[in-house]
This record gives sequence, structure tokens and C-alpha cells, in this order.
Amino acid sequence: MIPLIAQVSADGLQVEPGWYMALAAVLFAIGATGLLLRRNALVMFMSIELMLNAVNLTFVAVDSGLGSLEGQISVLFVMVVAAAEVTVGLAIIVAVFRKRATASVDELSGLKG
Amino acid sequence: MPNQYFGDYITVLVFMAVGAIIVGGAVVAASLLAPNHPNKTKSEIYECGINPVGGGWSQSHIRYYIFALLFLIFDVEAIFIFPWALKVESFAEAGMGGFIFVEMVIFIVILLLGLVYAIRKGVLRWE
Amino acid sequence: MIDYHALAPELILAGTVMAVLIVDMLPVRKHWTAVVGLLGLFATVVPILTLGFCESLDFCDYSGSREMFGGSYVIDAFSLALKGLFIGSAFVAVLLSVGYLESNRFWQGEFYFLMLASVLGALVMASSRDLVTMFVGLELVTGPTFLMAGWRKGEARSNEAALKFFIIGVLSAAVLLFGMSLVYGVTGELTFTGIRAGSVGVLDGDLSGLFIIGVLFTILGFAFKVSAVPFHFWTPDTYEGAPTPVTAYLSVISKTAGFVGLLAICYLAFGEVTTLWGTGLWVLAALSMTVGNLIALRQTNVVRLLGYSSIAQGGFILVPFGAAIAADVTGSDLEEAFFATVTYLVIYAFMNLGAFGVVIAVGNRLRSAEIKDWAGLFSYAPGLATMLGLFFFSLAGIPPLAGWFAKFVMFRSVLASGSGWAGALAVVAAVNSVIAFYYYSKVVVSAFMEKVPDGVPVAEIREQRTAPSLQFALVLTTIGVVVIGFYPTLISGLAEAAKTFASGF
Repeated sequence: MIPLIAQVSADGLQVEPGWYMALAAVLFAIGATGLLLRRNALVMFMSIELMLNAVNLTFVAVDSGLGSLEGQISVLFVMVVAAAEVTVGLAIIVAVFRKRATASVDELSGLKG
Repeated sequence: MPNQYFGDYITVLVFMAVGAIIVGGAVVAASLLAPNHPNKTKSEIYECGINPVGGGWSQSHIRYYIFALLFLIFDVEAIFIFPWALKVESFAEAGMGGFIFVEMVIFIVILLLGLVYAIRKGVLRWE
Repeated sequence: MIDYHALAPELILAGTVMAVLIVDMLPVRKHWTAVVGLLGLFATVVPILTLGFCESLDFCDYSGSREMFGGSYVIDAFSLALKGLFIGSAFVAVLLSVGYLESNRFWQGEFYFLMLASVLGALVMASSRDLVTMFVGLELVTGPTFLMAGWRKGEARSNEAALKFFIIGVLSAAVLLFGMSLVYGVTGELTFTGIRAGSVGVLDGDLSGLFIIGVLFTILGFAFKVSAVPFHFWTPDTYEGAPTPVTAYLSVISKTAGFVGLLAICYLAFGEVTTLWGTGLWVLAALSMTVGNLIALRQTNVVRLLGYSSIAQGGFILVPFGAAIAADVTGSDLEEAFFATVTYLVIYAFMNLGAFGVVIAVGNRLRSAEIKDWAGLFSYAPGLATMLGLFFFSLAGIPPLAGWFAKFVMFRSVLASGSGWAGALAVVAAVNSVIAFYYYSKVVVSAFMEKVPDGVPVAEIREQRTAPSLQFALVLTTIGVVVIGFYPTLISGLAEAAKTFASGF
């Protein structure tokens, strides 16, 4: 049986909330993979943003299913925190770049865990 | 016609297909009809007469980053003002107008403090 | 209306944060930022005390716990005890930083601004009882520390520490947040009490898969923050590369905040589904102790040694809970476990901050944190060497120093729960205490017994004086470690805090 993805109603096309959750999970997985595999710090930032936006999508999808507002308000907080994090991260990258003239994480191996 | 909703989209699809045929047909007809004698001088840049120097990628000054960072953070902070603006009237009706106004004033003063700090540290000076 | 008395600690600290920023803009000497910060931290203690002793005060007519914003924010004995701990540790951490920043000519104003903002986040975390408040508090704690870790801007190792810390920190935040969003998706609630009520029987329902992933991701995110093994690999690099006062801050305040968040979420929100994470805590505790200690054995650098030792200490902090869950202890019987953990956190703050204070003082003179360069420290800096011995033996848990009492209550709570798995964890902890004693004493023995290596400018070092602020910090922590060791009843007030928290479970 093919699962129900969307149905047509008087308001237009309605996608089932569960599929938004699935999409969010896929986006999160792509972001996590990108963060672990890519070696350019800026691309890693984009992956982080992708992960955080997957979270936002989950919150909003849940809210559309439940008809509540709490998740949508959470999204505002997540967005602001994400922006603050990226600001901090870019500042660190600028500092690294001034010192090393590279944005590749592999070059940074002075400290051995 | 399955229903009205998809019906609207079929109009769009037909329109796109007609557009693609006209543009594609024009390109194909031009390549069939036009004479074609390529040589080296023809493919040179002629507009300003000077050959390009250096690579296509150039470094931008680090100052752009700092401006971008400042813009990003102030831009996103503004998000908190929107829900406040939606709720301000109902709070005023409940007799808490002064309270909610002072709250937003405090928020904006904190943001302004950050801006004053950036100015004081000379970040916004463009030399 | 809003209870401003209950919010006073946070409000005063927020005011202090802005005051520090303003002082930094004024044309005065930069050490005034530190003075303002210290005064602000001192002022924050006042409302914490008036809230804590509300019953015996005339003007304060409210007792018990105060719930605000629909149960999202709770001020009770537990959160007040932790706030006191955070403020006290922050006071010492600022004192540790003053001399270090001045003598190395680092930027000062922004540093205290960031540190106090981070402490504000810790205060928020202690009281927050819903997912989003907890997340915002956690990010406020960690965000500034990324920058503080890279404070030695000109040095590649500090930059590297900051970047690694940032990437791991943000990854863990994203994982944590994804877990939270799934938990919200299944229960439809953000407050801990709501989640707890909504999670009854959810494991038998259709959405059990989502809920399990949500709970595991949430706990995973916190495991990164408290650097529990196997999520610890960023810790030693960051600790070594960051400026030493920042390392002290990270290993005490930011770590404690992580534990507070972990315990609050586990017990208050996921209290109905202990089967999901009980074993996990047991394993995290056992692994953190063992792996942290075994790698610490091989370290030649004091800062890295303290980094791995703090991973191991984190394991000890988790022991009472791992044991309590394994023994299926619930309700008011958990009091013992909470008391053990809070006591351990308080004593750990004293001794770890003190140990880092000694590292900063000695590092300033020797320009090295290698253990072999520290040999014979006693012969030319007897005071510092004695304190080194004091703090390291306290960390090892030798009576009559405070660390002994921390270990004692930990073992007492484990044995009180009395089950096979709890006993097994007690055995692991006991073996690890012995291993830890070996590497702590190795450093102390080297400092007291061995010959001074060639090339150490002994005469020059004798002339040098420790910065007054650092001396003050060392005196404070020394008094704490010695006095609590001799009179452990001093911190028995924490039992009250433990009772409040356990009653919520």
C-alpha cells in the first residue's frame, strides 16, 4: 500500500504532518553528514544551519498537527540562537583565517586529542 | 480534468511548454541558418580593449565580514518585535499597556547598547 | 504579576553584564570592568540569600517554591543552592582571570562581559523547567565560552581550540534541539511537568519510536556538554588550547550547568520512562570514570591531566544517579542521591578552581605546564607547592580534605540504594579512586621530592609575586577545601535543596 502523502481539500493541497517530520529528519541527517564529512569550515556552518532548520520544520509541523502555538514560538528562539551562533562562529573563523590563511579544518591539527 | 486545484496547474504547465518550444525553436533555427566561421580574434574580449588580469576570485576586505555579522545579529533580533506588535493592543485593553511598552523599551535599549558599543569600538568607521 | 523578588538574581546579574559593557566604553582603566563585575556578583548573592531564608525574614511573606510563567520557571531551594554555587564559582573565576589577562595584555572588558553573560545563562538553567527556556539558557552558557576559548587571538592553538569547541558545541546543540522537538512532537508539551504527564504509556503507543529517539538525542546532547565518555574527545584539546582561567571556568561552571540541565530533564521531564535512560546513565558514569582516569595516567601536561581528571570527576558526579536508577529507587528515597550530587558539585567547584589557580600561578612563572618542569617546585615556591598538594589530594579524596567528604556521600548514597548493579558501580568507582590517587600524587611527589631541572631560573622565580587577585582566589578556595573537609555539616543545608528536588520527582 502506498502511504498517504497528501490529500486535496477545499483549501487546496494538504500534506500530512508526518511527511514534514520525515523531511525534517532527512534534512537533519544531511546536515549531520555534511558536518562530519566536509572539511571547509564555511560548508560546515551551512550544515549546522540545515540541522537547526530541520528542527524548526519539526516544530512547525507538529504545531500544524496539534493546532498549538508553542512550537512556533520556539522557532523564533531557535532562529535567534542560530544567528547568534553563526555570528560567534564567523568571528572565530575570521580569527583563524587571519592566523592561518585557510578555512580547512584539516589544517588545524596542532592539538592531538 | 481531475479537479479545480490541479486544473489551475495544468494551465501553468501548458504555458511553460509553449514558452519552451518557442525559445528552443528560435535557438535551433538560428544555429541552422546562421553562418559559422570561428577564429581566435573573434572570441577575445573587445568591450574595453584590455585583457583581464588575475583570477575570477578576489578577496574582499575583512571589514565586510564585520558589517555582515552586525547586520545579521540586529536583523534577527528584530524578530522578537513582531509578536510583541501583534499582542500590544490586547495588553493595552487589559490595562497593561505601560508594562508591555516598558518591556519593549528595555529590549531596544539593550540592542542600542550593543550598537553604541560597536560605534565606540570603531567597528562602523569606514576608512 | 511578575514576582520581581524571585527574579532579582537574574535581573541584577543582567544589569551587571550591561554595566560592565558600559564601563568598558568609558575612558577609565580596564580593570574597573573586573571590579564592577565582582561587585555585581556580590550584589547578586543578596537576593539569593533573602529568597533562601525567606521564612525568617519580616518583609518576605512567601515560602516554599515559586512557580512563574506557567511552571516554566521555578525558584525553589534546589535552584537557589545551584545559583549560589554558580555565583560563588564565577566570583573565583573572575579573580583567576584578572592577573592573567593583565599580565598578558589581553582584551579585558569584553572578557568579563562574556563571562558574566555565560553565568547568567547558568542561573537561568538552574530555574528553567521547560525545553525552550532550558535550551536558551544552555546556549547562553556555551555561546560566550566559544569566544573565551579563543581569547589568545594571536596563537594558533587557541584558535584551534575555539573552532573545535565551537563545532562540537553547535553539533551537540543541534542534536539536543532535534531531540527536544521530537519530544514536543510526541507529547505536545514544552514544560517538564506536561511532558511527564504526557509520556505516561507513550512507550506502548504508535509514536514510541519517535519518543525514544527524542529522549536519546536530548540526553546525547547533554552528554556532549558535560563531556561524558564517549562524547569527551573535544575536552582535552579545548582545555589545553584555551587560556587557563577559561579552562577553569569551562571545567567548573559550564560543566555544572550541563549536569543541572541533564538531571532536571531526566528526572522532571523523562521521569516516567526511566527504562530508556537509566542504563545509559550507569554506562556513562562507569565509562567516564574509567576512561578519563586511564588516559589521565599517561598525561605529561598538567592542564591536560586536569582535563582528563575532570572527565573522570564528571563520572563520579553521575554515579549516585546511575546507581539509584539501577536499583529502581524512586520518590523521596532519591533525596540521598540528589544530596550526594549537589554536595559533590559544590566541593568539586572549590577544589578544581583551586587547582587551576595553582596552575595559573605556577604557569605564570615557569611559562610551562609540563609536569617534568614542575619538579622540585617546593624548593623555590613552597606556598604554591603546598596548595598544589592540598587541591590535588582533595581531588583524589584524601581525608580530611573536602574531596573526601564528596566521595564519602557518593559511596553512602550508592550503598544505601543496595542492589547488585549499584554495588557494581560502587566497585568501579572505588577502583577508579585508587587510579586517580596514583596520578594526582605523581604530580605532587614530583613537586616535593624531585630535583629542580636545569634551566629553571630559580632565583628569578623567588622574586616574583602572585597577583593579589589570584592570591585572594587561592585563599578562598583553600579555606573552602580545608574547612568543608573538617566541618562537613556546613553544607548540610544542601540536604534541604535535595529534598525539594526529590519531592518533585
